Amino acid sequence: MLACRNLVKHYETDRGTVEAVRGVDLDVPAGGYAAIIGRSGSGKSSLLSMIGGLSRPSAGQVRIDGTDLWAMREPEAAAFRSRRIGYVFQFASLLPNLKAIDNVALPARLAGRLGRRDAAAAAGERLADVGLTNHSDAFPAELSAGEQRRVVLARALMNEPALLLADEPTADLDEQTEREVMALLQAVSHERRATLVLVTHNLALAAEARQVVHIADGVIVP
Amino acid sequence: MRGFASTGGLLLMLAIQNLARRQTRTWLLIAAIALASAVTFAGVVAMASVTASMQVGLSRVGADLMVVNRDALTNITNALLTIEPTDSTVAADAVPKAALRGIAGLSAQRILRTDRSGFGNAGEQVDLIGFDPTTDFTILPWLSERLVGTMQPDDVILGGGRDLPLGSQALLFGQPFRIYGKLARTGSGTQERGVFMREERLLALAPAIRDRLGDVPPMLAPDRVTGFLIRMAPGTTERQARFSLLSKIPDIKVIVGDALMTGIRQGLVAVLGGLVLLVIALSTSTAVMVALLFSAIMAERRRELGLLKAIGARNRQIVGVALVEAALATAGGAAIGVLLGLILLRLFERVLVHHLGEMGIPFLWLDGARIWAAALACVGGAALIGMAGASLPAWRMGRRDIYDLLWKEG
Repeated sequence: MLACRNLVKHYETDRGTVEAVRGVDLDVPAGGYAAIIGRSGSGKSSLLSMIGGLSRPSAGQVRIDGTDLWAMREPEAAAFRSRRIGYVFQFASLLPNLKAIDNVALPARLAGRLGRRDAAAAAGERLADVGLTNHSDAFPAELSAGEQRRVVLARALMNEPALLLADEPTADLDEQTEREVMALLQAVSHERRATLVLVTHNLALAAEARQVVHIADGVIVP
Repeated sequence: MRGFASTGGLLLMLAIQNLARRQTRTWLLIAAIALASAVTFAGVVAMASVTASMQVGLSRVGADLMVVNRDALTNITNALLTIEPTDSTVAADAVPKAALRGIAGLSAQRILRTDRSGFGNAGEQVDLIGFDPTTDFTILPWLSERLVGTMQPDDVILGGGRDLPLGSQALLFGQPFRIYGKLARTGSGTQERGVFMREERLLALAPAIRDRLGDVPPMLAPDRVTGFLIRMAPGTTERQARFSLLSKIPDIKVIVGDALMTGIRQGLVAVLGGLVLLVIALSTSTAVMVALLFSAIMAERRRELGLLKAIGARNRQIVGVALVEAALATAGGAAIGVLLGLILLRLFERVLVHHLGEMGIPFLWLDGARIWAAALACVGGAALIGMAGASLPAWRMGRRDIYDLLWKEG
């Protein structure tokens, strides 16, 4: 389902070229669960951003269900990201002035897929899926860190994506909340048969994945 | 269609919420736009009113120069130059053919003085003046009353010294004419006792005049006119024009009008041109200010924009939010500015216009429809300037890599 071939990412900096990812090949089957682990600066977030259509590779190819992600033009790529990929970022990625339900509805409304009412109804269902039915009218600042992460997960699920990408989704959470969020993430991806790719420092979390990819200095190591 | 409407509503909602998020900054932006718009709106309306007043007021000053046959009589009053009736004529194409530079207005006139037209009392002397309403700038500005509609071929205008009701009929050489309008008193004999008609209508009277007078006066020949009235363009001096005319056209004399008034008119035209440049400069600086502000706003929202793109926002939607936001702020500011501008105009009216009125100088305000049009143009223009200012930073931000927006500084 997810197939990466010879992915390379260079960054130009004031101190010269940084090779963040150097020729990575990666396959994750449909409905699979892969964890990418590595130290800070190893290139795991860069790899995930190329997989998710957030950062154009310097070279190489990313195919999702056979579609070459980086061969598409901008509008098609945006529509593809909206329809097929759900993101859970490592920071609180909610728009502060929107209520929880509006944040969740955002991907469907940006895609023009659903009208305001239909999007709100669907967002309400996604919030129910993550156990936040009673918080739909809350603004992000009124939610706890764990609740915010659940809202982000609900938003990631809004367009029923085939691929869920989570970049250290529990980085700033306490241990109990981290377990709850991870359990939820795995449960909803399993229920929807979505492919889950997780970037984490946490080896214990990674151990729960069916596939663990260890990356160091931009390359996959055994 | 549903998607389009839904996305449009979403962009509007996001833009409003962005504006509401930083209220102090939003109000400062609105205040800046309001001040600029107030000055622009009040300036434009006052300028247009001054221009309209000048067009009437200074048009009445009449011509700067007059070109007649060397033997012709002329009349210079405080108000205007007029050609006195004479049999001396000049070629109808003399001045146009000379192709002089620096002429802003050129109007030919044919003037026939007769006491056998049958107009008025028996044997009453009347000056029949043929002119072209499309090029005229010395007769129509003096029109004080007229019938509704444009001047028809069989219409005549009476000089200020004559008294016949509008719409009534008058006979000239046995042919009927309708009294279309009447001039204000000018103080010039020819104007006061004149009967003005379209030049082609005066030429058409030639057979009737020949029947009554025995021959056709020379100014009724199609290729001759009694004289030309000339208005000079700004920057042209009376001396240059006069020299040029005398060197190119033989057997003429050039009469110069009131040099002081000519200078005032030319100066005012130049000042108004300068005011237009000032408005353009103000608009440009506002656009630059909005562009700078939106560059900062876009940079501040970098991560948020990256997030929107990550979850499916297209570049045009990112640009759209910024444009809607800029348009709302600037149009809102301009609407407030128009209200402030109306207050400024009210002050202007109380101070300057009132004093002008006391001195007997008329001031013509634009009519309500045009003031509304100016207000709408001001609001629309401000929205366009705002969108122009925001478009480049938004477009640049929209094109950046999502990863850069989410995680990189600057």
